[in-house]
Amino acid sequence: MLPFLKIMLRNLLLGPSTDPFPFAPAKTHKNFRGCAEHDPEKCILCGICRHVCAAGAIQIHPSEDGSGMQYLLWHNSCVFCGMCAHYCPTGALTMSDNWHLAHSGAEMFSNCISDFIPFGACAQCGAKIQPRPQTIIDTLGARSPDRFLLCPQCKRQGIVQNVAQARPTRRQENP
Amino acid sequence: MPSTTYTLPIGPLHVALEEPMYFDIQVEGETVRSVELSAGHVHRGMEALAMQRNYFQNVTLVERVCSLCSNSHPATYCMAVENLSGLIVPERARYLRVIADEVKRIASHLFNVGIMAHLTGFDSLFMHAMEVREIMQDAKEGVYGNRMNLGQCIIGGCRRDIDDSTAPFLLGQLELLKPQLHELYGVFERDPLIRTRTQGIGLLSHAEARRHAVVGPVARASGVAYDLRRKAPYAVYPDLDFEVQTDTKGDVHSRALLRLREAVESVKIVEQCLRQMPGGPINTREVPVIPPGEAVARSEAPRGEVFYYVRSDGTDTPQRLKWRVPTYMNWEALQVMLANCQVADIALIVNSIDPCISCTER
Repeated sequence: MLPFLKIMLRNLLLGPSTDPFPFAPAKTHKNFRGCAEHDPEKCILCGICRHVCAAGAIQIHPSEDGSGMQYLLWHNSCVFCGMCAHYCPTGALTMSDNWHLAHSGAEMFSNCISDFIPFGACAQCGAKIQPRPQTIIDTLGARSPDRFLLCPQCKRQGIVQNVAQARPTRRQENP
Repeated sequence: MPSTTYTLPIGPLHVALEEPMYFDIQVEGETVRSVELSAGHVHRGMEALAMQRNYFQNVTLVERVCSLCSNSHPATYCMAVENLSGLIVPERARYLRVIADEVKRIASHLFNVGIMAHLTGFDSLFMHAMEVREIMQDAKEGVYGNRMNLGQCIIGGCRRDIDDSTAPFLLGQLELLKPQLHELYGVFERDPLIRTRTQGIGLLSHAEARRHAVVGPVARASGVAYDLRRKAPYAVYPDLDFEVQTDTKGDVHSRALLRLREAVESVKIVEQCLRQMPGGPINTREVPVIPPGEAVARSEAPRGEVFYYVRSDGTDTPQRLKWRVPTYMNWEALQVMLANCQVADIALIVNSIDPCISCTER
């Protein structure tokens, strides 16, 4: 007991080492991995977040009128691993430092992120494509901004035309 | 003539055990004569779950096998998958993995010695050890974002860099920890209460340690200098300067002191890593291609060697994922350690192997 007596007295003088939560805010580091946040303006519906989510907390359903997708992230299924935020190519998903997730039982089936994400339109033919928000055009589409806004079919046609112009096919005559 | 021997059931749920485990103990008076272990109370079917999830999801899954070595599992799993796919992890990521591993080791060892103090009935020392551990918990939360599940490892590297904002914070926490750890070691080494309760009990001789092939601090306290960080170096351990701690006494007390000495070594390793860490990427940016085949990886978790086996059929889901955890090797040796001990010491001796039942039964 003797070597510890000094420590015990010191700890006694230092007072409690716990936060007085909920009467005062608890200390939270800015890096804390809390509740996920989703920015529908940046989401391109690539679905990598759903692919890496071990908890199956993310669902992406087509909307009823077919004009876009409904993005769902269930906070009660989420395990706060942050894999979705790490693999998100556009930064649409982030982990906030908010850990205040207590809610009443009645809110159990509404405690989720539910965002409607409309499809984009092909710049040439107007067909439905994945969303093309400006932030994504500036980053992912920087390499070929024109082609980035096209649907796969228009993209293919454009490539075929380019190739045809660059290398006109010569008809070989049989000897 | 009254019967002097009887069977004492301990567990599966028992106040003195941290996790469910069942012991059938033959007692003669106050002395234990023989022990039979029965396991399987926290089987969660994680190996089957792993076969239903893709390689990315399994990183999160294996992190949740056990909370105290929750970085060793994904790190070793990622190493196995990287071995399979031939992925070269950037050097900075290897340093970051070592830092995460060692930070977790310090917290895990402090937790175990704290529980030992609790089991001797010395609860104020238990609280103090937990408060010292809180320095490391704070460091984990500030650097990685969570107190237990760091989420640092991914296939191909690490997720969170230790940059100019978090490195000074981590170093500051280590500076706070060092004097406290030193003081705590002194208390555990000299305190008469701790010494009388823990010295000379739960003996595991060098020969018995070898016979049971125990791993981790249990082996090292019995004079078997087996540390995977030196025996089969991985990550950047060959470039780091640290000493493998050993002892020859092989009792509960020496195992606790050895854990504290290892925590001191871990502090040195983290400091070295922060000094030596080169710049560069912290993960391979490409998504790995996992070919059909099989691979293994092993690493030194706080409790000893953890071993991962992965078999792939070329799809995005492993065909088989299997792991062997240190407690599996160590708990058989409890039969030797518990023989002829007092009933009151059972919980202390069980705790001295730092059992992780949730890892072992997964």
